[in-house]
Parts: sequence; structure tokens; C-alpha cells
Amino acid sequence: MGWLYTAPALLIFSVFIIGPTAYTLYVSLFHWNALNTAKSKYIGLANYRSLLGSTAPSFLSSAWHSLYFSGAMVIGGTALSLAFALLLQRGGRLLGAARVAVFAPHATPVVATSLAWVWIFNPQFGLADTLLKAVHLPQPGWLQSTTWAMPSVIAYSLWHEVGFTVVLFLGGLAVISPELSEAARVDGANAWQEFWHVTWPQLRPVTLFVVIITSISSLQAFTQFYEMSQGGPVYATTTLSFLLYQEAFVFFDTGYGAALAIVLFAVTAAFTLLQRRTGDRISRSS
Amino acid sequence: MTKNTRSRRIAGSALAAATVLAAVAGCSSSGSKDGASSGPTTISFMQIMINGSQKSTLVKLTNDFETANPNIKVNLEYQPDYGTLHAKETAAIAAHNAPTIGQVYESWAAQYANSQVILPVSQYAGSDKPDQYSSFYAGVQKDLALPDGKNWMWPFNKSVQVIYSNSDLLKSKGLAAPTTWDQFATDAKAVSGNGVTGIAIDPGTTASPASGTLMFQALAASNGTPDFAADGTPQLNSPAAVQALSYLVDLKKSGALQIGTNYPGEAALGAQKGLFDLSSAAGYYYENQAVGGKFALGTAVLPTGSTGQPTNVMSGTNLVEFTGASKAQQAAGWKYMQFLASASSQAEWAGQTGYLPVTAAALPLMSDFIAKNPYLPTAVGALAYAVAEPPYSWVAKAEGEEVVALQAALDKGTDPATALNTAQTNALADQKAGAAQ
Amino acid sequence: MLAGLLFLLPFYYVVVTSLNSASVSASVSDILLPHWQWANYSRAWAAAPWPRLFLNTLLIASATVLLALATSLLAGFAFGVMRFRGRGLLFGLVMSVLMIPGTVLIIPDYIIANDINWLDTYWIQIVPWGASVFGIFLVRQFFLGLPQEIFDAAELDGAGRLRMLWSIGIPLVRPAIVIISLNVFLASWNSFLWPFIMTSSPDVQPVEVGLAAFAGANGTDFPALSAAVVFTTAPVLLFFLVLQRHFITGAMSTAGGVRG
Repeated sequence: MGWLYTAPALLIFSVFIIGPTAYTLYVSLFHWNALNTAKSKYIGLANYRSLLGSTAPSFLSSAWHSLYFSGAMVIGGTALSLAFALLLQRGGRLLGAARVAVFAPHATPVVATSLAWVWIFNPQFGLADTLLKAVHLPQPGWLQSTTWAMPSVIAYSLWHEVGFTVVLFLGGLAVISPELSEAARVDGANAWQEFWHVTWPQLRPVTLFVVIITSISSLQAFTQFYEMSQGGPVYATTTLSFLLYQEAFVFFDTGYGAALAIVLFAVTAAFTLLQRRTGDRISRSS
Repeated sequence: MTKNTRSRRIAGSALAAATVLAAVAGCSSSGSKDGASSGPTTISFMQIMINGSQKSTLVKLTNDFETANPNIKVNLEYQPDYGTLHAKETAAIAAHNAPTIGQVYESWAAQYANSQVILPVSQYAGSDKPDQYSSFYAGVQKDLALPDGKNWMWPFNKSVQVIYSNSDLLKSKGLAAPTTWDQFATDAKAVSGNGVTGIAIDPGTTASPASGTLMFQALAASNGTPDFAADGTPQLNSPAAVQALSYLVDLKKSGALQIGTNYPGEAALGAQKGLFDLSSAAGYYYENQAVGGKFALGTAVLPTGSTGQPTNVMSGTNLVEFTGASKAQQAAGWKYMQFLASASSQAEWAGQTGYLPVTAAALPLMSDFIAKNPYLPTAVGALAYAVAEPPYSWVAKAEGEEVVALQAALDKGTDPATALNTAQTNALADQKAGAAQ
Repeated sequence: MLAGLLFLLPFYYVVVTSLNSASVSASVSDILLPHWQWANYSRAWAAAPWPRLFLNTLLIASATVLLALATSLLAGFAFGVMRFRGRGLLFGLVMSVLMIPGTVLIIPDYIIANDINWLDTYWIQIVPWGASVFGIFLVRQFFLGLPQEIFDAAELDGAGRLRMLWSIGIPLVRPAIVIISLNVFLASWNSFLWPFIMTSSPDVQPVEVGLAAFAGANGTDFPALSAAVVFTTAPVLLFFLVLQRHFITGAMSTAGGVRG
């Protein structure tokens, strides 16, 4: 009976996701000619080998950029949204409005708002540079700079994503037990001690949830890179998932792109499992 | 090995699932797409003429063609830019759903021909060099063939690079319009300061070259060695190329060159924050729009470099016919391609868009345009000597290495020779990988 | 409060840009004060069949939401309440779907779509997204959080499984339904690469693809582009503002319901 209830979802997943993934695994063993599949050549693991041996950009540098982006999104995003949630948890009209303001960016389409941020970072006419110029600070060139391009994309992504995780933390804060905080305050704990010893431990399940969904979504983030930086300059924003797009849809090296996809899948899975494992260990030890 | 057979089986079952679904869906959907052989023939043309005068002119020409050929209907399929066009063509070919005709760059055509998904001209025209061929400029003729020596493309929208400038600003500073790159640098440096920059360029991305890439290519060619040899071999670290990149770095250091995206030169020129812009002749309509009559827009062919010879970089695309078209569609497509390349169509097309006519026979029909734009005959002359992208599949990727070298030198301050050596090594690897296919 | 304003600054900036002339000189007041160039809006509006694109988006997003709700409720109910062989394995399989990078599926899915004649249709934009891992996960979490006795009692009353889900389950997981609807709706509204590759005619394309095409073709006309950003984003924002209470409380109760 259970099978029957899960069948519609499973059918969709099998046809459009699981099947094609298996197909991708298969394709990754070929020098695949997407234009004319009859011209594809079986090459075993050669795509994986050239992936690891690639130089422009090197696999490790792309992996590092993925890690840089995801790390900033997970650590920065979690810290930022927790801080906002603590600030905004008390009710009131003004704070209610602030909640809406913080959440609103998440409701906007990435294509639309990343385009707007490209203009903010425009070195000739953009807001960011104009403001810096007005106060006589140097302008870093943002998306045109190898150093600043990634932070620029991260700034946009945080702006877009944080609203959702703030609300998740607000939900977490709403259900924690008020008695424990009360007791802590009676015992003379200051605000920081109360947060650290009482509030924070109770937020662990939510935090784990936030960390997992943020890392999965940021490892796979693509649209903002496509719109804002196209992986450059000098590969500074070429993450694994952008590289995957580039190989598969710009250079049409489908087999190589497929190998990259399998690797990205493995990385994501490893990340998620690792976080769950650590999460379990932390919650067991506390 | 066991792993391999297993993955084959999984893929097999995935394909089986897809086939079952296809069979189910097949019952409900009816018939083929192209209709029967009798009645009018419908052909499709995938291209990027999506806005401005490019769109209106193509639509008008196509209407004229349909009026003259009531048995042929042309579906124009628009894509927003070349990157998307390439992706869409490839996806459509992969799904055996290709349009009849499409715009292509030389390297795409090479890739398509290697995969046997486009037709040689001889197939639908009956001859490798049909009558119209002899009417084209020599440079255009050369650009239609692939390395096998056969013609696979037919010309449509060809262009070369030109320098747009703020003539009023030049005049007010007592500067002459540059005829050499040295003079160009002098002028650019002379006006820079107080928010004005000589020229703003976009180095491009690894996916597609832009004005900065073209400027580098033009400079390298003007110094005697183009970025690619005619056989597609990259020569990115030639002394000419190093000199070209050093030239750009020097302009940047002296504040006469700025880096941007989204046609920064055009934006700066329009905002009166720039003196020059290097862009395709086909950018004429857009430059004019950006300037909006605020000052006199100057137009000139590219300056000369250390060799003293005129050089240029050809841009724009050709047309191909994809396999999979019926005989009737092939014939109709060929008629349409000839119509677009004819003198009268080219005159209309060039006069409205700024693209260069591919045949000298169009010039007498364009006297009004030439009266207003005296640069045109000289620019058309450039079609004879302009360097085209060599028709090899790896060239697009190797151009990406070139862009990275530009970015590294202009942003990170990497030494031009070092940056270009790296680019050359990577481009040679791309060539090797591409040739092995 | 200050943070709230900082989050709103980009919105303000886009609106101002959309009202400025193409070549404002770059000074702070020029950039931050509007010049009321309404022509930018008419120029952008004329460039694409926007109402049609909106309608498409709305249709696609709503249909996707309905389908995703149905599949999530059924599967989430099965995973949360019913006991059957292979349940754990199946659930693991569903969760692993979350880790597959979407970009790579496009080529094989394009071929499948072509085989079943779904290219350039609404179907290809709806059905593949009609099952949501997040949705299934959430519904399951909610059902796991409910005391099993409710369902055992109902079973004794002889209520069929499906009726049990309909009359008891759905009212109890309402917060999950709200958050799934909004999430799937936003994801559908947000999707770009998929419809970009799978469709080619404006008759079925969503508004984001129209916007990206507009940006690709008019990269230089930033005021018009900003105008297009404003009128393509405003409906979603409005939608969110009207429903923000449900959205925020829904998301909050989701987090409340999350257990390690």
C-alpha cells in the first residue's frame, strides 16, 4: 500500500531525475558527441582523469571556489540569520516590518535581482563605487576584480537567502522553553551566557537543518554566477557547478561535464552525510 | 569492468523507462511536424536578430521573400545572444529537431561538420561554388570553407571592427583622429582625467569574447602576428601578442583605459565619459542610440600598428543548413540564403543595421547611407584583409584562454608575457584535445 | 531596523535606476534620486509580450504547486504513517535526489522531453517539478510528530487510508501545506535554466526567461532593464506581502517541527 502512495512522486523522480542521473554516469565514461551520439567513443575513466589533471582552471581551484562560496554562505549565512532572528524575535509593529524587509529579497527571482546587483557593482555608474568615490575611498572594481568578485556574489546571495533562514530561526526560537531562560536569568546569567548555555543548545536541530539546506543549495548555486560573473575574472568565481554548465553548455564536452556532475553529486552527498554525522554527535554529546 | 557493465544496465533501464513514457505519450500526440510534401514548404531560421533595426529589417526582408515565393514560409526563431543560440542549436540537433537554417560562427560549423549534422553547400546548391559565390568579397569567400576545402557556409551578417569616437571632444583638445595605434594611445591619454577615460573595454568571459578581446586581437594582428594561425594553431605568446597586451596594460596604468562589462565603451561614450569605443561596424545603430545626438559621433577604420599594414578582425556569422531537412526544405532554404546574400537584400540590411554588405554590388544601392557614413567604403575594404576566426572546433575554447590572460594582466597585474605563456600552453592543450576528436 | 533598510536599499535603487535616463553622470545624487523617465517603462514593456509571459508563469507555477502538493501529501503520509517493506530504503532514495546537481539533468531530460513531444510545452515545465523532496520531507516530519494513535483509532473506525489522509491528515499538516505551496511556487517562478533550454516560444515561456532574453539582447539599456526587473518582480513581491503572515508563520512552524 505504501508503495502505491509514493508511486506518483517516485515516477516523476525516476523519469526526470534518477534515470537521467544513471544516464549521466554512463555518458561520463565516453567521449560523448551530443550532436551525433553514434560518434561517441568509450574511454573508460579518462574523463575523470582529465578532470583531476585539468589546469585551466584546475579541479582543485574550482573545488576551492565552491568551498569558499558554500563556506561563506553556511557560516556567514547561519551566523547572520541567527543574529537577525535574535534581534527580531520580539514582536511589535516596527520589528514586524523589519522581518518583512529582511524576508522580501528571498521572494524575488534570482534572474531579476542578480541583474540589479550587477548594476550596483558596475564600475562606471554603479551605486557601490559611486558611494565609495563620494567618501574618497578606493573602489575595488567588484565583479571585475579577481579578489572581490567572489565576495560580491556572496553579498548578493546572502541578501537573497538570509531572509528564509532568519524565519527558520525565528521558528526555532518560538518553540524553545521559556522556563529554562527564566531559570538562567534567576541564576544571574547575563544575556550572552543565557544565549550560549540555554538558547543555543536548544536551537541545534534548526541549526543543523539550516546548515544542510544552505550547503546543498550553495554547492549547486548557478544562476547568480551566470548572471553576475560568468565564472571570471581569471576563474575567480568558477565553482564546480558553474564549470559543469560551462563544459556541458558552452563547450559541449558532454562526457566531461557528466563526469563533473557525478563528482559534484559525490561532494554534495559527502558534505551532507558529514554534517548529519557531526550533528548527531553534537546532539548526543550535549 | 564489472562497474562498467552495471552502469550500462542502469542506463539501459533508464532509457527503457523513457521509451515507455514516449510510447504512452506518442499515442496522444499526432503526426509529424513538417507536414506533407505537397503544399507550401515551411523552413525555420534560428538567429539572434531579436531587437532594433536588426529585427525589423530581417522581418521586412523575409516578408519580401515570402511574397516573391508564395510557396515558401519562413519561421524566424529568435535567440537573445550568440551563447544562447549555440546552446539551442546544439540541443535541437541532439534531439533531432534542428532548424532548417541557422547562424554559425566558423568554429561551430567545424564542430557541426565533424559530427555530420550540417550539409555542404554542394549538396543543396548543386555546386561547391554556385554562381553567387563570385560576387562576394575575397575575405568573405575565404570564410565560407572548412579545413576540408569544401564550402559549408553562406554569408549573412559580416562585419569588421571600427573605432567610434567623440569627435567634439577630440576637436576641443586639438587632437587628430588616430591613424596609428601610437597616436590612439596619445589621444586616449591626453583626454583622460576628471572622470573621463580614453576607452573602456570588456575583456570578455571564458564563454564569449568581447570588445577587449577583439582589441587585443586587432593589436596583435597589427603587430604582424594574429592570435591564431590560419591552421588554427594558437600563437598567443608571439612577440606581437605580448606587445599588444603590454600596450593595453600601459593604457590602463596611465588611467586611459577602464575595464567594464555590458558594452562599457558604448555606455561611457554615451555618457560623455569616454573618448573612443572599439566595436563592430554593426554596433553603429546602438552607438548612435547611446550618443543620442549629444555630440558628433566619429567613425573610422582601425589604426595601423608596427607593421604599418592595415589590419582588422572579422566578426559576424554565416549561415548553414542542418541535416534532417527534407529535399524541398533544403531547396527552399537555399533560395532564402541566396536571397539574403543578394546585392539588394545586403544593401537594405547593411543600410539599416551597420553590418557590411558581403558583395560590392550592394554599394551602388547604398549611396544615401554612404553619403552620411563615409567610413563605409573603407570598412568594406577591410573585409578583404580582416582576420577571421579559423574554422576549428577548439578555437572557441582557446579564445577563452586568451580572455583569461587579458583579465590576469589587466586586473591582477600579471606580467603580460607570463600571462600569455600560460594562455598559450592551455590553448595548445585545447588544440590537442580538439584535434583528437 | 537599520538592517531592514539596508535590505531594502537595492529595491529602492532599482526603482530609481528604472526612472533615470540612460547616461546619468555618476554622482551620488544623480544615482539616488529619480528623474521620472517613464519612457523607460514603455520601452521595456513594448519589448516582449509580458502579459502573456506572466500568465504562463502563473499557470505553470500554480499547476506545479497543485501537483507537488498532491505527490508530497501522498508520499509524506506513506513515509510518516504507513508501515511497509523498503520504507527506509525508499525514503533514502528520495532524500538522495536532493543532492543531484540539477544542471546536469538538462541534457538527458531534453532528449526525453523531445521523445515524448513535450519540448516547448507547459508539461515539461510542470510535471518534472511536480514532486518535491522538501515537500515529502516536511509532510513526513509533521506526520511523525503526530501521535500514531489518531490514525490507529481512525483505522478501527474503518476509515479508508485515503479518507484518513483527507479528513484527518490534511487539517493537521496545514502549516506544511502553506510552506510547501509557497516554496514550490517561488521555485517555479524562479526557475530559469530549465525553461530557458526546454522552451523556445513566448507562447509557453515564463517571465524570467523573457527577462533573461531581454537582458541578453539589451544589456546596455540599463534603465529599461531595471524597469523590466521592477515590473517582473513586483507581482511576486506583492503576492508575498499579502501572504507574508502565512509564509512567515508557516516557515516558523516548519522550523519548530524540525527534529534533528
